[in-house]
Amino acid sequence: MHRGKVDGQPAYILHTYPFRETSLIVEAFSRDFGRVALVARGARRPRSPIRGLLMAFQPVELAWSGKGEVLTLMKAEWVGGQPLLGGHALFCGYYLNELLLNLLPREDAHERLFLAYAQTLRRFAEGVQEADLRRFEKALLQELGYGLWLTEDADGKPVAEEGWYAYEIERGPVRLARQGQSPLCISGRALLALARDDFAEPRLLAEAKQLMRALMAHYLGGETLETRRIFKELQEL
Amino acid sequence: MSVHNPGSLDALIDALKCLPGVGPKSAQRMAYHLLQRDRKGAQKLGEALLNALTALRHCARCNTFTEAEVCERCLSPKRDGKTLCVVETPVDMNMMEQTLAFNGLYYVLMGRISPLDGQGPTQLGLDKLLQRVDDGVVEEVILATNYTNEGEATAHYLSELLKARGIKVSRIARGIPVGGELEYVDPGTLAQALRERRGVER
Repeated sequence: MHRGKVDGQPAYILHTYPFRETSLIVEAFSRDFGRVALVARGARRPRSPIRGLLMAFQPVELAWSGKGEVLTLMKAEWVGGQPLLGGHALFCGYYLNELLLNLLPREDAHERLFLAYAQTLRRFAEGVQEADLRRFEKALLQELGYGLWLTEDADGKPVAEEGWYAYEIERGPVRLARQGQSPLCISGRALLALARDDFAEPRLLAEAKQLMRALMAHYLGGETLETRRIFKELQEL
Repeated sequence: MSVHNPGSLDALIDALKCLPGVGPKSAQRMAYHLLQRDRKGAQKLGEALLNALTALRHCARCNTFTEAEVCERCLSPKRDGKTLCVVETPVDMNMMEQTLAFNGLYYVLMGRISPLDGQGPTQLGLDKLLQRVDDGVVEEVILATNYTNEGEATAHYLSELLKARGIKVSRIARGIPVGGELEYVDPGTLAQALRERRGVER
């Protein structure tokens, strides 16, 4: 656990919730310290200068101090360069934040994931591509140490384009004689495309989505994401 | 706290903590004030609270608090039923009224969509809004939810919901405040005002 003062730390706000009478607890994802929980004192007062700054999906620079469990937010500065998210992109942003809040342990630096997150948000501002979601999910799993086996199967043999596999969590793809029915069944072609971050083919992208959904569900330990439920409701309109 | 208060005092302090922005300390201050200095006020407060709880309900049309089945504003013949302004809270509605710029009717959501707080569209009970919009008079719905991420998410969801029903939907504008000087506007607002700039009408 780091002590003392941190200044000018690039970060994104993941979520805030009320604390005591006028304060906020801020869940932030910082570049060098990972996910941190900060107390923003007085941030809920009507004229608080940082009220509008502690907004998700916007790059900020934070300064905090403290030791032990409670870190106090001292300063938040607007960085800019990221258009506000709206519409569908906003819900996809919430999805990323919900994943990070559920899967990322506190105070564990993940600089590469931070950069991937920033890049994904910038792309979202220009319109959400499914591929961006898949890329982020992959980066998240890799950074958390749940690496994916995509080019070699569980027996150490190279993944064959024309083969079908059952993806076993923590073991990798197991070759099947023919296409199976489980959500973790995936074609060799889709595994290799996922390895190359190549999502040009819609069918392979759909397979990658199914695999990622099953993996996320596993690592979330049965927790249903609120954002996923809302996605569904939106689609049913 | 190691202080032993009589049970009913503790119960009062505890009850006062349910007010927004009131923690144990403020609650204690309020309780002592009411009991010591303003017993009449306390009596009035208690009665008003009970009275409001029994008398007030949600307007069948705009969902705000009212004592009647339908609130006065919704019944007023002077209001234009063709535009419906959707706001998050009754306070927001009062602000809109103060502008004297709007003569249509309202719908108060009594909340917002906030996925990370577990507040989805289901919890908002949007059936009532849909029924309201389907009255055959409403032509345009103005979305006046907050310009926070949650307000934007709510506006997006509502616009998808309403557009699917062929209703004209608009969103209140955002940007530089009236009388605002660029020098003192926060950079986030300025950046967005620039991105959402519009052509100058002749």
